[in-house]
Amino acid sequence: MSFVPSSDAVAQLYENHYSWLFGWLRKKLRCSHNAADVAHDTFVRIIVSRDALIGMREPRAFLTTTAQRLLVDRTRRRIIEEAYLAELTLIADTLPGFPSPEETLATLQALEQIGSALECVSVKAREAFLLHYLEDEPHAAIAARLGVSTRMVHKYLVQCLLHCDRMRLE
Amino acid sequence: MTRAAQPVTNDPIVEQAADWIVRLTADDPGERILAQAGYDAWKQADPRHAEAALRIEHVVQRMHAVRSDGVTQPARSALHAAFCGKARRTGVRRTATALVLAGVFALPVWLTVQAYPPAYLLADIRTATGEWNSRMLADGTQITLSTRSAVNLSFDEKSRTIELVSGEILVDVAPDSARPFIVETAHARIRALGTRFAVSRETGFTVLTMLESKVAIKAAQQADINVADGRVIIAGQRVRISADSIGPVEGIDVRSVQESWNFHQLVVADRPLPDVLDELSRHRPGRIQYRREKLADIKVSAVLPLNDTDKALQLLAASFPGLRIRTMTPYLVMVDVPASW
Repeated sequence: MSFVPSSDAVAQLYENHYSWLFGWLRKKLRCSHNAADVAHDTFVRIIVSRDALIGMREPRAFLTTTAQRLLVDRTRRRIIEEAYLAELTLIADTLPGFPSPEETLATLQALEQIGSALECVSVKAREAFLLHYLEDEPHAAIAARLGVSTRMVHKYLVQCLLHCDRMRLE
Repeated sequence: MTRAAQPVTNDPIVEQAADWIVRLTADDPGERILAQAGYDAWKQADPRHAEAALRIEHVVQRMHAVRSDGVTQPARSALHAAFCGKARRTGVRRTATALVLAGVFALPVWLTVQAYPPAYLLADIRTATGEWNSRMLADGTQITLSTRSAVNLSFDEKSRTIELVSGEILVDVAPDSARPFIVETAHARIRALGTRFAVSRETGFTVLTMLESKVAIKAAQQADINVADGRVIIAGQRVRISADSIGPVEGIDVRSVQESWNFHQLVVADRPLPDVLDELSRHRPGRIQYRREKLADIKVSAVLPLNDTDKALQLLAASFPGLRIRTMTPYLVMVDVPASW
């Protein structure tokens, strides 16, 4: 493993439950490579998010929830990556230059973060946010399209900005 | 699965910053000028304001940065694919109608009567409820049977035919130019021109999902297939075939279908809850009871474990707080939306 548990709590969690989690994932994924990857990432995520202590009461439920979320995130990452690259390839001819792998990677990471941040806002709020900050649509046009007031559009935009900001800090 | 929204504990200063930044792009030019002046003054009033402003500006910059050379299409597609109308409750009707309890009491009887049909029991390869079976056939073709599935094999020197009696299979066809590979159901004849596809036999129709290369298909009441004719379905397409006709082609995400087979997961994007429950139901013994019309408005986007359907139901319950999922017995689960919701 390539990380050092940053606190006793995580070390203990790791020691007591790693092999159990690995077993659970292997059964679930039917692939020990993937299971090892996800188990590893699960602990990394716990260390980074520093909520190991919250998990100590129900360590196994906590671990499986975290692992489960990771699997969802992985799926989302793949969906984003695939859709982005497919579309990029389609329009490649019309672009002045194809983005470099570094640029693409940075964009994918940003998209993934945005995707994850906007997951828990309403569909309309999300749509307003994309229309405004991606497509530069004016507030009034968005309001008309979503059938809400411009005041509401304003609220949606503020809400999404805050969600993205919070996600970045996590 | 939708992550539970965290309690919003926004720093009021950050909220103000976001509010100012949204005002900066108001439609009215006069308003924008005022907002810019107000924003500048606000930032200067307190270093914490300036810091919060930077954070939110960074979010906006990031959002702009995902356009590649000002082209928004790839970013938009990617985000739309990610959300795909993420799980949401759209106007669940609140009609106070009690469940028909008679149905509940009649169920155990009905369950007992609903034995596996003889064709299933006599099939060459079959899987029980919740079971998956992958194996290699004599010609090197890889076949995977999902839950409650059965196939008959008839391989000779002229052709390789698999009859799908029930359930769903994924085949990875080994090339053999001398012997065509055919999957037959009551509704369709599917002739492989290439390698990987899934076939699912439903009541009244068959669903073909192409993962790689292509196949030629014919509805059962059409004549024999030649390579030359028959409708050709290519990778990334899904089509519904009934005995007398072939439905419209629908696009699918090959990777997520493949993934669901590999990891025994159900990957859905914006599917009505009843469809999802039907699918889960196929993977567990007993029955999931619900009223289709009551749940049809609930759309689900999720990755659910098919080899642990209890867990899948728990995940659904956690994502839709309005949904009530009750395990009456291990063989009967009831799903409804309580009237007070």
